[in-house]
Amino acid sequence: MSTVIEVRDLTVAYRENPVLWDIDLDVGSGTLMAIVGPNGAGKTTLIKTILGLIKPAAGQIRILGQPYHKVATSVGYVPQRGSVDWDFPTSVLDVVLMGLYGRLGWIRRPGSMQRKEALAALEKVDMVDYSHQQISQLSGGQQQRVFLARALVQKAQVYFMDEPLQGVDATTEHAIIDLLQVLRSSGKTVVVVHHDLQTVSSYFDEVFLLNIRRISSGPVSEVFTDQNLKLTYGGRVAIIKEPTS
Amino acid sequence: MSAFHWEIQLVSMVVATACALPGTFLVLRKMAMMSDAISHAILPGIVIGFFLTENLSSPLLILGGAVAGLLTVALVEWIRKTDRVREDAAIGLVFSTLFALGVLMIAQFANDVHLDIDAVLLGELAFVPFDRLMLFGRDLGPQALYATGIVGLLCAGFILLFYKELKLATFDSALCATLGFLPGVLHYSLMGLVSMTAVAAFDAVGSILVIALMVGPPASAYLMTHQLSKMILYSIILAILAAISGYWAAYLLDASIAGCMATMVGVEFAVLFCVAPHQGLLVAWKRRRHQRWAFAIKMLVIHLLQHEDTPESEQECRVDHLQDHLAWEQPFAEGVVARALSRKLIRSVGEYLELTPSGRNLAHQAMVHV
Repeated sequence: MSTVIEVRDLTVAYRENPVLWDIDLDVGSGTLMAIVGPNGAGKTTLIKTILGLIKPAAGQIRILGQPYHKVATSVGYVPQRGSVDWDFPTSVLDVVLMGLYGRLGWIRRPGSMQRKEALAALEKVDMVDYSHQQISQLSGGQQQRVFLARALVQKAQVYFMDEPLQGVDATTEHAIIDLLQVLRSSGKTVVVVHHDLQTVSSYFDEVFLLNIRRISSGPVSEVFTDQNLKLTYGGRVAIIKEPTS
Repeated sequence: MSAFHWEIQLVSMVVATACALPGTFLVLRKMAMMSDAISHAILPGIVIGFFLTENLSSPLLILGGAVAGLLTVALVEWIRKTDRVREDAAIGLVFSTLFALGVLMIAQFANDVHLDIDAVLLGELAFVPFDRLMLFGRDLGPQALYATGIVGLLCAGFILLFYKELKLATFDSALCATLGFLPGVLHYSLMGLVSMTAVAAFDAVGSILVIALMVGPPASAYLMTHQLSKMILYSIILAILAAISGYWAAYLLDASIAGCMATMVGVEFAVLFCVAPHQGLLVAWKRRRHQRWAFAIKMLVIHLLQHEDTPESEQECRVDHLQDHLAWEQPFAEGVVARALSRKLIRSVGEYLELTPSGRNLAHQAMVHV
């Protein structure tokens, strides 16, 4: 198993306040990893920093052995569903096609080849019938499936997903987890910000416990212990649901 | 109809189109107020450009204005990033200061030239034909037509070329950045275009109408469609319609052309707000009315199903008892029954109501889908 994501001594500060403090993170290929921690622990910040959206104060980040911008098209990103305006005038198929913009580069427009790929990705999330729907008419679970299809269509090596199970119904949750496990089995690396402690053990192989610092990381069976959770959540009862942000 | 009429209409159509193009993206980026800020803040840039060239239609003025516009955007962003002031307050601070600076400069140094405050605020389309582009002694038409035409073509070219990138940057700027595009560069290019359009348009229509033309037609078009390309197209059509109808309204009323155009922009929005296909008030009202009846019919069939073959069905399933049992007014209850009868969901047997098979079906479905 080769190392796909390698983060060394990463510190991110907001003015003088550290939001992430000296983070080390290694993720191998064919791994499905959850990033877990309380609100304000820096989960989203960690992902955004790895993706080059936030400038770190210190530290190195390598993806597939390279700096992020060299491998950008091999990295799929599913932002939080609430980060975009779903009233934007566009269709489901159009949103999925956006996943291919990176490969197309500047100016070139998507054509019938790309549309075929986008439809295939929608097929995987069971949303083909909605391809011409306006995105404003989708339910929360459907929005999340569309975002997932947009990442899948990239055929990336590495995926970062920010709370893909936030506010989706049980059917969608299982469909998404099945998909993530298929990705993992085909050798991809999938890193997921996750907030439901109850399901960590059944869904993920590895877990990264974060609260500004790295609390612990590794295989779920070794790391996901009551004691580590108390350290992460500051002594509160371990298995409680984190309030949704 | 003299050539002047046509020239004024042509210029107003070109101005309206040039404004609607970048305006669509401003509206979608929730930056409509930025057009307000830019169209005012370009004033000092124009005044300085005017001092340098002594000519109101010089291309240098457009450049000066564009620089002032970009400065506005950068200043607003810089103030906002300090987190001491929120964005709306930052916009208000920056543009009013820059605009005031421009007004002071005009009052102090340019009192005796054709750059007065009224022209700045409202422009004067009626004078457009007097300022002509002469080349080698030949009259090539009004200068404003060339200034706004070139900027309009620039906007159209930019949007055609970078349509995909602008769409992505507007919808999801984080993904735009992670895929290797440069949302910051796109943002400032767009703001540069907005500034240049504002300068080119302002001579003809003034800084207030620029806002109306940038925000109005795109906001109206947004009510009509859920597709970006169509939204741009409809914005252009609505902008041109407002320009022509505004011109003729001004002609008939003997009023300011710019003022009438801005009014027509508002009228277009008001009309579409009422009758737009999916989001208009009228459609929403009809939908609610329809839903009210549909829901009442469901209540009726469920009520009948619950009491079907029960001892009390004789009283429960009478039209004159629905009033008590479902808390319906008599006329409404009769309306619901009439609609259910005509859709063959129920049939009346004497004074009693009975479900038909399709009515029973609907009741079962309705209860499953709660």
